[in-house]
Amino acid sequence: MDKQLDLLQGTLDMLILKAVSLGPLHGYGILLRIQQISHDRLEIQQGSLYPALYRLEHQGWIASEWGESENKRKAKYYRLTAAGKRRLQAEAENWNRMAEVIAGILGTKPEEV
Amino acid sequence: MTLWSRVRSWSHTAFHRSRMESEMDSELRFHVESLAEDLVRQGVSRTEALRRARIEFGAIERAKEECREARGVSILDEITQDLHYGQRVLLKSPGFATVAVLTLAIGIGATTAIFSVVDAVLLRPLSIKDPSQVMYLQEHWQDIFPGFSVGNFVDLKRQSTSFAALCASNLASFNLDTGELPERVDGEIATGNYFATFGVPPIVGRVFSSEEDQPGQAQVVVISERLWRTRFHADPSIAGGVIRINGLPTTVLGVMPASFDPLLNKTEMCVPARFTAEQRADHDDHYLNVMGRLRAGVTPAQAQSELQVIAQRLQQLYPLDDEGRTFQLQPLSAVLLGDQRLGLRLMLSAVGFLLLIACANIANLQLARSRTRQKEIAMRAALGASPGRIVRQLLAENVVLGLAGGVVGVFLAYWGVSWIIAHGPAEMPRLDQSRLDAGSLAFACAMALLSSFLFGLAPAVRSASARLNEAFKSSSGISGSGRDRIRSLLVVGEVSLALILMVGAGLLIRSALLVSHVDPGFDVSNIVVGRVGLPDPGYHDPNLAQHTFERMIAAASALPGVESAAVVSRAPLAGGGSSNGLLPEGKPFDLANLINSQLQIVSPNYLSTVRLPLKAGRDFTREDTRDNTLVTIVNETLARTMWPGENPIGKRFACCESGPKGRMDPVWHQIVGVVADVRAWGLDRQVQPEFYIPMAQMPSSAWDWIGRTMDLIIRTHGGALPIREVQSAVASVAPAVPIYRLSTMQQKISSTLERSHFDTFLLTIFAAAALLLSSVGIYGVLSYMVAQRTRDIGIRMALGASQSRIIWNVLGLGVRLALVGLGIGLLGALAATRLLSTLLYNIRPTDAITFAAVSFILLMVALLASYLPARRATLVDPIVALRYE
Repeated sequence: MDKQLDLLQGTLDMLILKAVSLGPLHGYGILLRIQQISHDRLEIQQGSLYPALYRLEHQGWIASEWGESENKRKAKYYRLTAAGKRRLQAEAENWNRMAEVIAGILGTKPEEV
Repeated sequence: MTLWSRVRSWSHTAFHRSRMESEMDSELRFHVESLAEDLVRQGVSRTEALRRARIEFGAIERAKEECREARGVSILDEITQDLHYGQRVLLKSPGFATVAVLTLAIGIGATTAIFSVVDAVLLRPLSIKDPSQVMYLQEHWQDIFPGFSVGNFVDLKRQSTSFAALCASNLASFNLDTGELPERVDGEIATGNYFATFGVPPIVGRVFSSEEDQPGQAQVVVISERLWRTRFHADPSIAGGVIRINGLPTTVLGVMPASFDPLLNKTEMCVPARFTAEQRADHDDHYLNVMGRLRAGVTPAQAQSELQVIAQRLQQLYPLDDEGRTFQLQPLSAVLLGDQRLGLRLMLSAVGFLLLIACANIANLQLARSRTRQKEIAMRAALGASPGRIVRQLLAENVVLGLAGGVVGVFLAYWGVSWIIAHGPAEMPRLDQSRLDAGSLAFACAMALLSSFLFGLAPAVRSASARLNEAFKSSSGISGSGRDRIRSLLVVGEVSLALILMVGAGLLIRSALLVSHVDPGFDVSNIVVGRVGLPDPGYHDPNLAQHTFERMIAAASALPGVESAAVVSRAPLAGGGSSNGLLPEGKPFDLANLINSQLQIVSPNYLSTVRLPLKAGRDFTREDTRDNTLVTIVNETLARTMWPGENPIGKRFACCESGPKGRMDPVWHQIVGVVADVRAWGLDRQVQPEFYIPMAQMPSSAWDWIGRTMDLIIRTHGGALPIREVQSAVASVAPAVPIYRLSTMQQKISSTLERSHFDTFLLTIFAAAALLLSSVGIYGVLSYMVAQRTRDIGIRMALGASQSRIIWNVLGLGVRLALVGLGIGLLGALAATRLLSTLLYNIRPTDAITFAAVSFILLMVALLASYLPARRATLVDPIVALRYE
C-alpha cells in the first residue's frame, strides 16, 4: 500500500461533493467512500469532516435528511443538491485545469525552457 | 438560491438551537459507534474499540464548535453574549446608565414625537386616488391669487384637454335643522364630477351625478361619515332619507368616508353647485376652488402651458374682467400643506439638534468611563479577545443603552404626541391624525441604533486600539491629552448647537412679545362675536334680510349687561372676507387702475360699538339709506393708497355694482370718514386697504356675496358672557337660525396667534433642554479634568497657589470651551436663522439684542456649570493628592 497523503487545502469539500454525488451517504459512509475510492491513499481528519459537511449544507450544496442505516440505526444522510452538482462540476474542471498546468510545469525539461 | 439556503439554515439555527445540538450529538455519536463496530468486527474488544474510535476521531468538542461556526451559530452566540455582558456592565453602574438613558430618552422621545406629527401632516399622501395627479388651479392677477370665476372655470373646462376631470367647489356653511337646536355645519358646494375627480367612492349610497348638478333639480346632499355618525346614529338606511338644510327638505344620497376631506376643510356636507346660465357667464366674481386630475401621461408643465394659452384667449374675449389674468397650477398637496412645511421642518431640525447634543453628552460620559475601564479591556485583550471582538462588545453595550433610551423615549413620544394633538394649533391640517404607528416606531428604533453608534463608536475604537502595556502601567493619573481634546470638541459642539436653538427660540419669543404689544386698532375688551347666516330660501328678499339683522341688533342691545350691538360682514380677526376693486374718480376705467380693497358691510353703530377711532369726517347715520348719497368710510391705509397726501373726505370711488347703463356705468361712493387701521387678519399681519359701507346702502347682490351671513358684535359692560341670552335673542328674531363661532374678541385674537405661540413654545422647550444638556456636558468634562489633575493641583497648592487662583483656572477652562462653542454657534445661528424670517414679526433674523441676550444666558450657565468642579478643585488636600501615587 502507498504511503497515505495529507489532504491538500480545500480539496475535502470537493471530495465530499463527489462522494455524495454517487448516492446519499451518512457522515461515516462518506469517510469510508472517500477512503475506498482513493484506495486508502488519502488521510482524512475525521474531526474536520463534520464542520465541512455543515459548511456545505449551510451553503446549500448538499442537503441532509434523517434515515435508517445498514445496521438499523438512525443516521443523517447527505445528498447532492442541484446547486451542489453545478458546484462539483465547476470545481472538478478547475482542479483538472490546475493539475494539468502544474503537471506541465513540473514536467518541463531544461532544454524546453 | 444559495442565499436562501443560507438564510434558512441560519434561521433554523437561530430558532431550533437545542434540536440542532442534539442532532449534532447523535450524528457524531453514530460516527464514533460505527467506527467502533467496524473495529469490533476486526476482532478488537468493545471497550478498546470505542477508545480507539474516539482517539481516531479526535477532539469531539472542537469538531462541534467548528460545526456550529460553519453554520454561523457562533456569531449569533457572541452577539447575545455581548448584549448580556453589556446589560450586566450597565446594571453595575446604575448612575451612569440612568443619566445616559434619560438623556437619550429626551432626544429620541422629542425626535419621534415631532416625526410622528411631520409624518401625519406632511408625509402621508392625501387620502384620495393617485394624489400626485391632482392639481389645484388658481387665477393670478396682479400679485394676488384669487379663486376662479364661474365663467373662467366653465370656459377652461370646455377648452382644456390636459385633465381627465376638472371640478370646482366653494366652501359654504349650512343651517342643519334636525329638530333640536339648529346647527351650523361647514360644507361645500361642488360640481357634479367633484367626487370622481378625487376617485373616492361613498361608503353608503351614492354621490350626485352631473345630471343632478343642473339648475332646477330636486335638493340633494352627500354627507360626511362624521356627521352621519354624530347626527344620524350611523343609520345605514340614511340614503334616500330627507333632512332639512337651510329650511329646505333635502334628500341624502350617500355618505363619504371619514378620510375623505380633499380640501382639509372638515367638510360635513356637499351639495351640487348648479351654476345658472347667469353664473356661467360671470367672469367677475372670483371665489371657486378648482381642482383637476391630470390625464395620464400629461405632465404638470404641459398642463400649465395649455392653461397659459387658454388664459390668453380669455383675456382677449373678456378684457374687462380677465385683462392681465393668468392661471396657475400646483399639486394639491403643495397648496394644502405648503404652509406647514417651514414650521415643521424647523421643529424636526430642532429636535435633531437636541438628539445630537444628547449623543455628544453620552459619548463624553463613555469616554470618561472608558479610561477607568482600560484595565478591564486590556485584560480581555490579553486573554485573547480580538480588537474586533472588543469593539463589538463595547458597541453592544451602547446598543443596549440606545435601545433602553429608545424604549423610554417612545413612552415620552407617546405622551408628547397626545400633548401636541391637544394643544397644537387647530388650523394645522391632519394634526389630529398624528400617532405612534409602525412608521414612527421604526423611526425611533433607527434613531436609537443610530445614536448608539454615534456615541459609542469613538470610545469603542479608542479603547480597542489603546496599547495594552500602557493600560497596565498607568497606575497614576497620566491624563490622555488626546482624549481630553475629543471631549472638549464634543462639548464645544454641544454648546454651539444649543446656542443655535436658543437664538431661534429667542427670536421667536421676542417676536411674540412684539406682536402682543401690537394695537389691534380698536378696543377688544368685553366684545362678544358670533356669526349668523340667514338661509337663502326664507330670507331671499334683501329688505327682509336687512330688517332681520336690525331686529337682531335691537334684541341683543336690550339684553342686560349689554352696552351696544352691531353687525359687520366680517368681524376683525374672524378670518375670511371679500374684496373689491375700487376705481378712484378721475381715472379711466381700466383693470390696472383698480385698487383691491377689503369690503366691510356694517350697521350704523358698528364703529362706536367696537370703538374704532374716527380719524376724520363722520360716522354713518340712519339717514344713509339708498335714497340718499351713497357714502363710505375708508381706513387710513386705503386713503393713503388711493390719494397719497390728499384729504380724502368728499372724494369718490366706484365699486361694487354698476349703474343702469351696464358695466361701464360706474356707481360712485362718497367718502365721508376715515377710520384707524384695524389688524383684521391677525396682529402679526399687514393691514390691508379696507372700506366700509352701510348695510342700508349695500347693493342687493352683495347679500349673495356674503351669503346673507353677518357677524353680530356685542359690547358688554364686562362680567360673565351672556351666551345663552344671545342665542335666545337671535332665535327670537329668526327661529331655526343658529348663531355660531360665538366667542370673545380676545379669544379670536389668541386663536390667530395659536400657531406662532405653539412654534415658540416648542422651540423654547427644546432650546431649554439643549441648554441644560450642554451645561451638563461642560460640568462633566470639567469634573473629569479636575479629577484627572488632582495631583497637579495638589502640587500647585503645595507650592503656594491660592484657592481663588485654582478656581479661576478651572472656570477659565469652562469659559474657554463655552466661548469657542459660542463663536461657532453664533456663526451657525447667523446662517440658520435666515430660515426663520417669515415667522418673525418686526425683527430681523439677525437681531442683535436677541443674539447678545442669548449669548449672555449661555455664558452664565456655563460659568455656573464650571463653578461646581472648580469649587471641588479647591478642596483638594495637597498631602492626600501627593500620596495618591
